Amino acid sequence: MERNPIRRQLAIMRQSLFDQGHVDEQFVQLEELQDDANPNFVEEVVTLYYRDSARIILNIEQALERKPFDFRKLDAYMHQFKGSSSSIGAKKVKAESTLFRECCKSGNGEGCMRSFQQLKKEYATLRKKFGAYFQLARQAGPVETASRPK
Amino acid sequence: MELMKSSDNIIQDRTQQQHKQEPEMQAQEGQQEQGHHFHVLAVDDSVIDRKLLEKLLKVSSYQVTCVDSGDKALEYLGLLNNLDSDSTASSSSSSSSSSNSSSCSQSSQREGLKVNLIMTDFCMPGMSGYDLLKRLKGSSWKDVPVVVMSSENVPSRISIRCLEGGAEEFMLKPLQLSDLEKIEAYLLKSLHLSCTNIDKDDDDNNADHNSDNNNDKVVNNDSNIDKGNNSTSMNNNFSKRKALSSEDTESRRPKIKGLAVAI
Repeated sequence: MERNPIRRQLAIMRQSLFDQGHVDEQFVQLEELQDDANPNFVEEVVTLYYRDSARIILNIEQALERKPFDFRKLDAYMHQFKGSSSSIGAKKVKAESTLFRECCKSGNGEGCMRSFQQLKKEYATLRKKFGAYFQLARQAGPVETASRPK
Repeated sequence: MELMKSSDNIIQDRTQQQHKQEPEMQAQEGQQEQGHHFHVLAVDDSVIDRKLLEKLLKVSSYQVTCVDSGDKALEYLGLLNNLDSDSTASSSSSSSSSSNSSSCSQSSQREGLKVNLIMTDFCMPGMSGYDLLKRLKGSSWKDVPVVVMSSENVPSRISIRCLEGGAEEFMLKPLQLSDLEKIEAYLLKSLHLSCTNIDKDDDDNNADHNSDNNNDKVVNNDSNIDKGNNSTSMNNNFSKRKALSSEDTESRRPKIKGLAVAI
């Protein structure tokens, strides 16, 4: 277990991301790609995700303002969004994306709107959690190669 | 989950030592050097997936070039130049009166560009991964293995269509480090193909290794069945694996890391 209190807190935060179902195994894959050459890789990817997906969210919002709904377009946008969310391991967001797409496929406009509201909530919650997590991670600093977790 | 970093530092140190011993293999980002590294061209419209794929491949010591569309991929490979007549292409094609379409594309290929594997997303705006696959297989780059990726379980008719179109495999995104072992197999296949052109005795040498590789084939075929993979081509790939020296094999292994501390 980590002796350093910041690292211990970091480990706890990380564990809760998994326990609360916010992230899945894919997030671990991201962590495995992080190395000394790229010590902030995970944060970079997550930051890139929020930047890139903001664009798609906006597209969907605009598309939902046009009636009748263009379900094909909405589904196409969500396919993109789901792909990115899946790639970073954003589990709840991904699940909500799937629901949205199902509503698109069945032409359920009300369902789309409800699902999208829920999705934006999860998306925002996760962003906050990631923000706190990476802030603490930066405070914790790089892991010394000599140290071994007890 | 325990956060362990110590073991993968050892792996990384060893990798760094290997790199130091081979000075011509300086890791220079984005350069296409005729080095010992395999060069992968990755095509994906998603910036996230490009970043991930690039890192996955680089971590496994491959050279990577990423483009965001099929058109950009064709442009990179010099295949779009067939239509425009820029000075270099037209001068070399006009000098050979018996030029057919394949030699035209040869002359417009970038000087010394080496690509060992092309990985493309299936679902892209504009040119789809399938369209790109067909274009590639009808070009001078047809011998380069192509892997198609998709972010969801596509109907088997689509994955089969890609395989029939010449793709080596249809892989599910997001790709993981463990998926790179399959990619290694396709890269080795491309290496063997280029060796075969030079020296046909390679096949005789590999015959002895086939029996050793049966276990590998079984393990990998199981994991590929639900992806609609053509298992017979995988068999050929694995028989070629041991043609490389063990030194090369070590540097090709994906660097499986322990759980890293997110910093």
